[in-house]
Amino acid sequence: MNVSILLQTLINGIFLGGVYALVAIGLTLVYGVMMIVNFAHADFLMLGLYLAYWSFVLAGIQPYIAMFIIIVIFFLIGILLQKVLIKPVLSAPVINQVLLTLGLSSFIVGLVQFFWRAEPRSLILPYSSNSIAIGDVVLNIPRLIAFVVSLVVALFLYQFLSHTKTGKAIRACSQSRRAAALMGINVNRIYMLVLGIGLALAGLAGALLSPNYPMSPTVGSTFSFTAFVIVVLGSMGNFMGAFFGAMIIGIAESFGGLLIGGELKQLVSMLIFIFVLLLRPGGLFGGKNA
Amino acid sequence: MLEKEKVALRIQQIRSSSKQTPFLWKVLLDWNSIQFAIGLILILIAAVSPLFLKADYFLNILILTILYAYVGLAWNIVGGYAGLLLFGFIPFFGLGAYTTVILLNHYLISPWAGIFIGMIPAVLLALLIAFLTLRYGLKEDYFLLFTMAVMVVLSLVFSKLKIAGGAIGISISFVQSSFERMVFIERAPYLYISLVLLFLGLVVNFLVARSKLGRYLVAIRENEDGAKALGVNISLYKTYALLISAALNALAGGFYMVYTTFIDPLLVFGGPFNFELLIAPIIGGRGTVIGPILGAILNKPMVELVRGYFSISRAGTTLIIYGLFLMVFIIFLPRGVAGLLEPLYRRIRQRTIARLNVAQGTATIQSDTE
Repeated sequence: MNVSILLQTLINGIFLGGVYALVAIGLTLVYGVMMIVNFAHADFLMLGLYLAYWSFVLAGIQPYIAMFIIIVIFFLIGILLQKVLIKPVLSAPVINQVLLTLGLSSFIVGLVQFFWRAEPRSLILPYSSNSIAIGDVVLNIPRLIAFVVSLVVALFLYQFLSHTKTGKAIRACSQSRRAAALMGINVNRIYMLVLGIGLALAGLAGALLSPNYPMSPTVGSTFSFTAFVIVVLGSMGNFMGAFFGAMIIGIAESFGGLLIGGELKQLVSMLIFIFVLLLRPGGLFGGKNA
Repeated sequence: MLEKEKVALRIQQIRSSSKQTPFLWKVLLDWNSIQFAIGLILILIAAVSPLFLKADYFLNILILTILYAYVGLAWNIVGGYAGLLLFGFIPFFGLGAYTTVILLNHYLISPWAGIFIGMIPAVLLALLIAFLTLRYGLKEDYFLLFTMAVMVVLSLVFSKLKIAGGAIGISISFVQSSFERMVFIERAPYLYISLVLLFLGLVVNFLVARSKLGRYLVAIRENEDGAKALGVNISLYKTYALLISAALNALAGGFYMVYTTFIDPLLVFGGPFNFELLIAPIIGGRGTVIGPILGAILNKPMVELVRGYFSISRAGTTLIIYGLFLMVFIIFLPRGVAGLLEPLYRRIRQRTIARLNVAQGTATIQSDTE
């Protein structure tokens, strides 16, 4: 095995990790602030993929333009979800919250299967497989764009959370819902904002993947599990943890695929997951500080 | 308030004076017994249904409903009474199914024995899961993710396992009807086998609900720290619940194998089927004796009929129904149908006893207490 293959695998892993990071950051943000384990989260990535597909097929809109529309739509969906579904169960037992988001996930997948059929589709664009070569390493352009956009969005969000007034309010809510409410923060509005951001990130990830990622209604379930692995690895509710966890899992899956074959690569993240749960259930990065 | 106390006292008296009170009274005064009785009546109705349900199509739906009710009852011990977030419940089902078919195809062991032998790997897996998770006191949402990871790992392992037919799956050759191989042309024998299972599940649930174990489990579910402070060994009782549920579920898997004659790893270790199996206890009422049966009656026939109506060309109808069911029930009726019935029953009992007390006069109560 020569160096260029290893380097290529590493680059692929980092690119994959970038997209995982978008999904995982949204998930961990929602968990960290609202304490809701959202099993429907990755299904919004699937919806993002489909929306990008349809906006190109029906209206000829490029995914990189559609992603702005998708971000807005998904942000609004997030607000609606918080109002209609999540708010009534905020203080219910965990099992009820989990079942509710599972129900939502199943509902979304069912609707997509019903209206858009279960067969896989892919969006084929002129630049889907364009790439640039640096030495022996080939960089796929859409994946590169996805990675760069993910990085920029993650940095932007981090700055938003740590420096703006709203960001501080969000972090206050994650520390204590009641104390935040007593300080005059409108917790309900913060939750709407957080769920909106979370879903927008998932939708954005879908749009970024759409140029060369085959889509099917159940694609969410694969991402969902990986996202949970990442979030647990990076300690639930920890923003930077989710980012680095995503990189670790992206690289691990990439090398796993190289060593034991693509069909078993899920086993790698699964085993990492089980070991982290058993040996360090708090995750690698400790504490929750969104 | 005073009236209420009198009634409670009266119920206590009727229960404790075991010799004088007729059996019927004791049943009527106990919610668990009432649920058990309703379950028995439903089983009897199902047992005579072949007299008027002739079409195989409907019998098939009935058998599947019974199977789902049974799996719901199996899950109910660990997920309902103990309140553990055991979401990945299907591994035990899958292990039961695989054991049964591997024993039959490779070792010619009859399913009548194989179904029961299938409980062994399921119980071993349950012990492993309990050993790995419960001693750490893994947080509940992490426990749920862990059980889902187990599902994925098993489905990957079984898709590589030669003896289990790999990813293609494995089937029972269906040549002619044979009692020994549990192969029947008609549906009726399967109906009665599934009813025996359902009866077993009902009895186990009833016994657990009445036993010390069941009370401990509920105490742990409602207030784990409180139960611990009172000296309840939390991990031990959770393990018991997990073992009972796993063993019962393995039986269901074995029966499913002989009934449908085909399984593959993505089915019996896969998310969609797993999800389907958990709907019944959730909408019927977790932690109640009758809940899973009511839940199965409520969802399975409807889902099958809708699926039949839209045919295979439109996938997703079941998922839509399940999704709606879950969301609506969790928001409006989180304790399920049985959770709706229980207060109703208590009100009727209250009123009846109060009327009896008036009729008998307070003198009897006083003489009874002496």
